[in-house]
Amino acid sequence: MEYLEDNKTETFEEEDKEREEDQVLDSDEVLDSNELNDMQECLSQTDLSNIDNNRAIQQLSLGSMEFPSYTTNSEKEEMLLGLADNFWHQYTHLYPDRKPLFMCPRNECGVEKFVCTTLHPTLLPYSDLYDWDQSAKFVSEYLTMEPLNPPLELPRSLFSSTSVLQKQSGNCFDFSVLLCSLLLGAGYDAYCVSGYATREMCLMDEKRNICPLLNKVEESSWEIPQKPLKKYTVKPPRQLISKFAVQQEAKKQAKMEEALRNEQEEETRLKEDAEKPGPDNLHGLRVHCWVLVLSGKREVPENFFIDALTGKSYATISEPFLGVESVWNHEDYWVNMQDCRNGCKDMKFDLGDPVCWEYLLQGGSKPLLLIPDEEDEEELNGETIQENKTIFQMPPSWVLPIVIRPKEFETRCPQGRKILQYKKAKHEKWAPYLKRDGHVSRLTGYLDTECTQEVKIQDCFQNRKDKLDLREQNKIEQVTTEYFIPGRADSLKVHEYRSLAPETERSMMFYSEARLDGLQRRDEKPVEMTEIYQGRADFLYYRHIVFGKRPKKVAIAGGPTEANPRPILKITERFNRNKEKPANEDVAERTFLLTEDRIQLRCHRKDDHITTSYWEFLKPANLGEKDTPIVLTPETCISYQVEPSEKFSKQLYVYETLVTLQQAEQNSKDNVRKSETEVREILATRAQEEADPQLTISIYDTERNEKSKEKREAMERAIQEERQRRAVQELDYLAPFLAQLGDPEKLTLWQAQKVKEDCLSDMKQRLIEKANLIQARFEKETQELQKKQQWYHQNQMSMSKEDEEAYLDYCSEAMFRIHILETRLNRHKDLAPQKYLALEDRLNKDPRLREPFLTS
Amino acid sequence: MSSLYDTMEPNVIDDDMLRNAVEEQGPKEEAGRIAKLEGIDFKHVSSLRLDFKNILKIDNLWQFHSLTKLQLDNNIIEKISGLDTLVHLVWLDLSFNNIEVIEGLKALTKLEDLSLYNNRISVVENMDTLSNLQVLSLGNNNLTSLENLIYLRKFKQLRTLSLAGNPLSEDDQYKLFIAAHLPNLAYLDFRLLNENIREMATMKYQYSIDDITHNENQEKRKQEEEEQKQRELDLHKAAYVENLNGPFLFESMYADDADGTKLSGLPGVAELMDSYRSKCIEICQNIFEYGMKQHEKREAEAFEFNECMQEAIRENQEQGAKKIQELTEKNSEILNELSQSGNQDFLDLKISQYIDDINKLLDSLMTLELQLVDQTEEIIKEYERNVSDMVSAFLETVQGLMAQVRDLENHHHEKLLEISINLLEKVLKGEMDDEITDDIRMIFVDKDTVINAVSASHDIHLLKIDNREDELVTKMNTWANNLIQKVQKDEIQRNRNRILEITTYIDHLRDELDNLELHEQM
Repeated sequence: MEYLEDNKTETFEEEDKEREEDQVLDSDEVLDSNELNDMQECLSQTDLSNIDNNRAIQQLSLGSMEFPSYTTNSEKEEMLLGLADNFWHQYTHLYPDRKPLFMCPRNECGVEKFVCTTLHPTLLPYSDLYDWDQSAKFVSEYLTMEPLNPPLELPRSLFSSTSVLQKQSGNCFDFSVLLCSLLLGAGYDAYCVSGYATREMCLMDEKRNICPLLNKVEESSWEIPQKPLKKYTVKPPRQLISKFAVQQEAKKQAKMEEALRNEQEEETRLKEDAEKPGPDNLHGLRVHCWVLVLSGKREVPENFFIDALTGKSYATISEPFLGVESVWNHEDYWVNMQDCRNGCKDMKFDLGDPVCWEYLLQGGSKPLLLIPDEEDEEELNGETIQENKTIFQMPPSWVLPIVIRPKEFETRCPQGRKILQYKKAKHEKWAPYLKRDGHVSRLTGYLDTECTQEVKIQDCFQNRKDKLDLREQNKIEQVTTEYFIPGRADSLKVHEYRSLAPETERSMMFYSEARLDGLQRRDEKPVEMTEIYQGRADFLYYRHIVFGKRPKKVAIAGGPTEANPRPILKITERFNRNKEKPANEDVAERTFLLTEDRIQLRCHRKDDHITTSYWEFLKPANLGEKDTPIVLTPETCISYQVEPSEKFSKQLYVYETLVTLQQAEQNSKDNVRKSETEVREILATRAQEEADPQLTISIYDTERNEKSKEKREAMERAIQEERQRRAVQELDYLAPFLAQLGDPEKLTLWQAQKVKEDCLSDMKQRLIEKANLIQARFEKETQELQKKQQWYHQNQMSMSKEDEEAYLDYCSEAMFRIHILETRLNRHKDLAPQKYLALEDRLNKDPRLREPFLTS
Repeated sequence: MSSLYDTMEPNVIDDDMLRNAVEEQGPKEEAGRIAKLEGIDFKHVSSLRLDFKNILKIDNLWQFHSLTKLQLDNNIIEKISGLDTLVHLVWLDLSFNNIEVIEGLKALTKLEDLSLYNNRISVVENMDTLSNLQVLSLGNNNLTSLENLIYLRKFKQLRTLSLAGNPLSEDDQYKLFIAAHLPNLAYLDFRLLNENIREMATMKYQYSIDDITHNENQEKRKQEEEEQKQRELDLHKAAYVENLNGPFLFESMYADDADGTKLSGLPGVAELMDSYRSKCIEICQNIFEYGMKQHEKREAEAFEFNECMQEAIRENQEQGAKKIQELTEKNSEILNELSQSGNQDFLDLKISQYIDDINKLLDSLMTLELQLVDQTEEIIKEYERNVSDMVSAFLETVQGLMAQVRDLENHHHEKLLEISINLLEKVLKGEMDDEITDDIRMIFVDKDTVINAVSASHDIHLLKIDNREDELVTKMNTWANNLIQKVQKDEIQRNRNRILEITTYIDHLRDELDNLELHEQM
């Protein structure tokens, strides 16, 4: 008990007095029985966990363990261990109250290794890992965390990063060593830190943290730039308002706001209190290991911590870090001499300061504390250089280089999936291609801390053939939003909907530059549709359509919906200003009231006018019909013109405008119908894509691209076959004959003659044999046929019809066979001499049998 | 045509002919019926065809102001005239006529397509202003000289040219000559000039073309230089310090001064002149630089003023437009309601409400306008004050500098007088007999003559300086006055226009309502 008590209050005092004071203070605290129980439990676990650790070591029969550096210590390492031992003895002698240091844990082979040599600075060939944040993310994702057991003591062993990577799991020390190795390799001034942290930190419990992905970047407040006051800026008109009244109003407003704010603050405080974790009995005792990055290298502006378990960075004054025992990198080891009563808030990380940090080797490149006196500095430099020569250098790392294969790098999490729990949020990750629909991550937001009621789901996809990138589902409003990357045939960018049925509320955004009609956005409501365009040659940028109710119609059984389109009540189109036309003739808004046969036109405002011209046309009933005179009454066209002109008042103008407008109306109607069809088509495509999601595979992806894989394999196979074929071809036709002679290097004339003769006679023999064989078969067939015929002639009378047919079949078949054999025989007879001659020719030409090569 | 010419009386373009042509060629079918009923205004006709009419003289076309296409082919026109008012013409067809000289086309700067096929033209000329010409048809004419076609190099846009049927087109070199000399031409006699021909042509006429291009380039450069000079001078003139950045003033002093020039030949005067000259130039340069700076300042001031003015007007306009927009939206709602509702009381209520709205709109628009007038008045006054300050400061400084020039002149005069009198004594004593010319001897007769001559020169110089100063001061003051007047006038004009617009619009709204009421009652 005393020990625990001590530990609990333990801070790293150097003065006895101080410690005594603290003890006096702390002895006031009374531990209740509950806490006692907790601690006993913790202690009882200690033994068990030791066994666990040992077993783990035994189980790991890794290939790398056969490597000598893993199983033995080199001479230099032995010396280093001696030094460390010496240091440790002195340390415990000087500071008997401090906890043991983490210096020489055993590795996976049970060999003591100094911690600094466990760090192996490595730069992996992935550009992602060049920056600390991506490295930290990788480490936190790649490994599975095992909590320290017991949580209050340093682990007995520290495995090499290679075996940690192999089993894809480790404790905080393993995490930190791996991350530190990567960071050092990338050129950061990184250190492993052994110290104490809060329970949440040690257990990687992020249930109380807000998910980092949910923290949206706040939109930068868009300030309207203050217009510079120019010399001739007009004065604003005088406002006839009582200043006093304004003041009173402002005061009232301020009061109300303050009350509201107070209320809100109160609320949030209450909420926070409720969410606070219960008190931790072991606060300040939990051992943890993390990474420290010092400023200076790689443009790091100031020191910060990285928690390797979560991959998050913290300022060095962050609260969760409660104390530091020691830090190390691949070059040296430092012990903290500063007071950690206030956590790490007052810590200095100037490792060259011997008052704050006690070094082990002083072999590192860390400069000594900078002394402002310049003369001294020079001397000092000289000294250090001299000293450095004699100083013991840290032996190279015993760990094999860290290797991560591309596939492992891509798969990341063990088994390709990982689940992180945050406050009111859950984040699931999958490796690409793991899920059949290309799902790579899902972020679920919950309404309550217990995570029962879903509010929002964010699904990320990758490599989808339909270019789906992100799907957001708002469970409260039942709205789904899908985001697509460019490249779809319909150029869809965002699709927001409640249901996939047509003619319901939805909003679609498009990549307008990829579309011929420049459509940027289409919003739909049950009876309305709004389309927004961009960059069109006809300056159209807005179209609004109001639909009416479908007239009742006797439905054709199974007929398509197009058979009964919704009637269009009104089409409004707006246009951008066309600078080439005068404003009075450039239409800004065009409204077709289809049910009333009316068309309204409104022109753009001219630069120095405040009114706009407009026309209202009432379509005559027989417009567009040929050979019927049209009566243009004054009511046909009601207009207001900013600058009345004779041209516009002419009847001819009215008539011509009417005709073009009618054409335009028809076009607009067609376009609306097209839009409706398109929406229906997109919805159908989407439904199909969702039902059967397909993934694309890059042509450079040699692992997954089936086609290229097949092709490659086929190519390999072809090469193989080619090789075999060549081998067969090289089979020597003279080989058996030469073998008879005992494979002489060179043939004598006589031997050549013999070989030639043998070969030819063999050929002759074979040809004759073949001919005989065919002859024999032919004869056999003929005989059989004759027999059958005889039998037939004998029994012809008593035969049934079927037998007769069978006989006839047999006859025709036999005749066919005989005929074939006959042909073959003839052919053979024809070919045999040729073949014989060919062989003879070949033999004559064969270099081995020709004169110059023959030994006499 | 010539056979017809003998037998038929030439026709005159008169109103009936024009009307018939316009109606015949105007809108067709239903539109044509309406147009006929209504009558077509010659002003709005854009294309006219008057072929096979036996016209001798082009006349009476001044009404067709917006005409872009005119066909006068197959007539007996002998002289191109009466086309000066048709400045919008793009297409002109004068083929199959009896034209002998190209003329009267100066005003048709927009012309792109010109056909003079089958006429009696012998020289290509008088087309300098037709810089947009793209198609030119000169077939079946009397063109004889290939050299004359170099004239066509002027038309950078010319793509199609037809010359077949001319005496010159029988020349073997005809095609090559044209291909070489008109590099922008794409079609000759309706055939593509391909790369081959062009290459051959360039090889053949290498030297002459080089010569021509060289000359053209030189001319162009000269023209550019002149333009540059002119621009600079204009700028200086705008700053009212033209010809002050050099010895112009000094030289102009001696230009009309015979005695002075003579006197400057005296021994010892040369040095005096030199120092006087350099000092004078220095001061002039000062004036010039100061003037340019002031000019820039004035421009900046004007720019800033205009900008602020425009901004104020724009803001005001937008407010007004917004108000009108609001009313329009409301208006359409009310009209809808009116058309749907049958209740008389409700109608009356709505209508009175609408009338109120209109009145309110009128009020607010007028208030806005008044407010703007107040605001602009204020800044115009300020601008006026600033401009006059600037002008007076400028004039003061310039006058001070001019006074320096005058001092210099006085000083010079004294010195000259002294030297002259000294010299006179010597001359009278006969010491200088060999050194002086006869001209000077004429002056150095007696003291009075000498003094007269010197003072006369002095007077001339002073007069020149005074004149220059006066010119500058007057111009400057006129500018200031004009500027302010113009600004005020513009503002008044703007105000008038706006008020007119507002009243027209309000009247229109009221009319509309009246019509509606009338309609309802009926």
